[in-house]
Amino acid sequence: VTLPFTNADWWAILPVSVVAVTALVVLISDLFSDRGEPRYLPIILALAGTIAAGILLARQFGHNYDAFFGGFMVGGFATVFGEIILIATAGSVILYGAIGPTPRIAGMTAIMLWSACGAMLMAGAANLMMIFLGLELLSLGLYALCGAVDRKTARESALKYLILSSTATGFLIFGFALLFGATGSIRLADFVNPALASNPLFWIGAGMFLVGIVFKLSLVPFHTWTPDVFEGAPLPVTAFMSVTTKAGTLAVFARFIYAALPSGIGGALLIPVWIAAGISMIAGNVGMLAQNDLKRLLGYSGVAQIGYILVALAGATPLGLRYALYYLTAYAFMNLGAFAVAAAISGEREEGASIANYRGLARRRPWLAAAMTIFLLALAGLPPTAGFLGKILILSSSVSSGYLWLAALLIAGTAISLYAYAKVIRAMYEREEGEVRDVRPFVPLAWASAAICAVLIVAMTFYPLTPSNVLPLVR
Amino acid sequence: MALVLIAILLPIAAGALLYALPRRDRIVCRLAGTAVAAATFGMLIRAGDAQWSVGWLSRPFHAAFHFGATPISFWIALLLALCTACAIASTRVPRTRDFVALLLMLEGTMLGLFLARDLLVFALCWDLMLIPVFFGLMNWGEHPATSWRYFIYNFAGGLTLLLATAAFGVIYGSTDVIGSNGAPLVGAWAPWIYAGFAFAFLVKTPVWPLHTWMPPTYAGLPAPMVAVVAAVQSKAGLYGFLVIGVALLGTYVHDYAPALMVLGAISLIYGAVIALVQTDAKRIVAYSSLSHLGLILIAIVSENPLALRGALVYIVAHGLFSAALFMLLGYLEDREETRSLLRLGGLGWKNPRLAGALCIAALAALGLPGLAGFAGELIILIGVYQAGYVWPVIVALIAIIIASAYMIRLYQDLMNGPEVEDVPVRADLSWLEGLAVSPLLAALVLIGVDPAPLLRP
Repeated sequence: VTLPFTNADWWAILPVSVVAVTALVVLISDLFSDRGEPRYLPIILALAGTIAAGILLARQFGHNYDAFFGGFMVGGFATVFGEIILIATAGSVILYGAIGPTPRIAGMTAIMLWSACGAMLMAGAANLMMIFLGLELLSLGLYALCGAVDRKTARESALKYLILSSTATGFLIFGFALLFGATGSIRLADFVNPALASNPLFWIGAGMFLVGIVFKLSLVPFHTWTPDVFEGAPLPVTAFMSVTTKAGTLAVFARFIYAALPSGIGGALLIPVWIAAGISMIAGNVGMLAQNDLKRLLGYSGVAQIGYILVALAGATPLGLRYALYYLTAYAFMNLGAFAVAAAISGEREEGASIANYRGLARRRPWLAAAMTIFLLALAGLPPTAGFLGKILILSSSVSSGYLWLAALLIAGTAISLYAYAKVIRAMYEREEGEVRDVRPFVPLAWASAAICAVLIVAMTFYPLTPSNVLPLVR
Repeated sequence: MALVLIAILLPIAAGALLYALPRRDRIVCRLAGTAVAAATFGMLIRAGDAQWSVGWLSRPFHAAFHFGATPISFWIALLLALCTACAIASTRVPRTRDFVALLLMLEGTMLGLFLARDLLVFALCWDLMLIPVFFGLMNWGEHPATSWRYFIYNFAGGLTLLLATAAFGVIYGSTDVIGSNGAPLVGAWAPWIYAGFAFAFLVKTPVWPLHTWMPPTYAGLPAPMVAVVAAVQSKAGLYGFLVIGVALLGTYVHDYAPALMVLGAISLIYGAVIALVQTDAKRIVAYSSLSHLGLILIAIVSENPLALRGALVYIVAHGLFSAALFMLLGYLEDREETRSLLRLGGLGWKNPRLAGALCIAALAALGLPGLAGFAGELIILIGVYQAGYVWPVIVALIAIIIASAYMIRLYQDLMNGPEVEDVPVRADLSWLEGLAVSPLLAALVLIGVDPAPLLRP
């Protein structure tokens, strides 16, 4: 039997394949390693695999073509999203090493890598099947990962995520069916047909598709699962989820609004999404105020941050996409950095998740506190961080696209968020420590991860590398 | 030449280095801090109007890290370096090293603000300079709530500044515009952009009714830091009105001048009246600041050339005397452990040097001829009158009379009168404290006698 695929097709999914194979290698290597001892081999293998995939992926940048009969796109846009996902994967796997490798580490690492494969497929997906395949691969792994610690909240988290996410997938796949019914094609590129604007089937299908997307992006009103799931999931999984699900879904959403919408339909169809983004910026930031758990806090923060990114995409201007990518990259580093700090002060009971444990951190661990301050300032959008420049780019994008009301909501949301972020900063720099806490030993991997993220966030302010020529690839 | 860049980065680097190095002796910290601040002073004079620039953004608008003094910012930057040097020299707070480091970083970020020739850099430094003060209030302030109020008010202003900057950049195509004599911005958007800038500037100055963060902040900060904040950071808004409002959005400044003048006039009278009844010495100076800055705002929005020059003179003069007043009240509080007018009195007999210094600063604040305050006030009043605004001049004259009352009351209640029984007798100003405050007093006299260098266009 000869497969109908060319070399170019295989080359297109080579990075994804490398990650998938790495996961297999991790599992197999685990068979031969000593039980009981803390094992770092899975982490090292996973890092090597993601780095190799990252290098391969980077070489695709600039080679733009369709693979698998237009189902998967290679080049700029997908490359950038793919790299963000790989970075997030590497940054999250490292955290397993920081909170103390559990006996199940090899399995968890492997599942995480496979989930990353799903997200990478979403980054390049250009037809409905590929989107579904990527999304489910990503989500199935996450259901398992969320519940993979022996903790009541973790089981709750996994179950909640499974049920709610499946509901969203239901919407998504029903939307796919209707879209296929309306267009007779599963390729996004075939949707660019002005005649569809008068086809109610297309409207309903696209609407249900967007409901699924909004759920996965955790925008208001489909955001309520985020803090609960984030809180219950193990720290590395929360870090992983907070970036990769958003990056993968954003890639799909961006490709849909830039490349698949019939002309004249975009404004009306997407208005509910922009409204949801606007409300998310307020609701997410208000939700943060009352949190005393870092994972919940960052869950709500993610709701608002994804709102900011959507402001850049509103109006679907070419520059808007670049700014969205810039902000998403910065957001990945902010979140990974913050979780790295949390992991560095966590043991197996994840002490780093509770904000109370940050009290007086500046005394015990001045460098970790400084790094955390940078991440929180970046999330709040204060200089000298990429969050500041990202905000100004997003604001300028909304000015040129005319969505000024979103800019106003962004400003209001940011003002609210400041209090929540500064509360953590204040706790870290508080003078009086409560009871004496045991200082966690130096954790090289988590410290290195936090340091790299902090340096990059500051450097990105001064060298704002927004990936150029992204747009031709969206199609 | 990069000297201007070094002047900005040196204090920041020195501050960070102080943190990183092991805890030092208080003397060493103060010495190093003063030396750094003095060095920036020298560098600023040496650099003159030299500029330094490197590109930052090319899209969506042109932006650059562009630094260099304008004829206005040159003086404010010098004022800043001088105030910082003086403030650090006589710092007496717990954890001196951290405090000096914060003050140096504050100086660096504020130098960045005043020397920025790019709006985006201006906005960046605007937010940056809030952080050291926030930590100052947090760690040395009287109540944590104050630091929140300070931060949230000013950050909200910073956000509208950011939005206005983004809109300005997109429409104008470049933010590299400060002091460049470019064409002003006009169009349907321009009034909104001006509104965004103006809100930020009014919060920062502050102007009634956005001033409520200011009195507790000034009262709560330790004296050396409040000397710098009240003297220079409060000028960031006024400086913004000068180089962004008047220079780039001139027509709108003119159109909305009456509204801002009303706010300025209310601040003038309100601040003066409240200062008259306060019993906390620092709050008296804080409210007097509100009053004086209201006058400068009136001068700037009148857009009369003479008034604008007077505004610069008064900006510098106010910086000098409020820094001196706050430092002296700090010395006083160190000695007596209170700054309530009700509990103090008759200190002048035992502390003649402290009394003398406070007298000069207070007289400058109330506008005695021969001192800098008078020069600024007079030129402003003439200019505003020339511009055709008569009622603000009348309001200002009333406020100046009230100013004499509250400043004399401040001096009187602290230094004159019978000695209070239960106030312990402490030593007079040490030579170091005297040395720290004397450059400010000398500059007050110097500018009062000859304000000409500041008046050159």
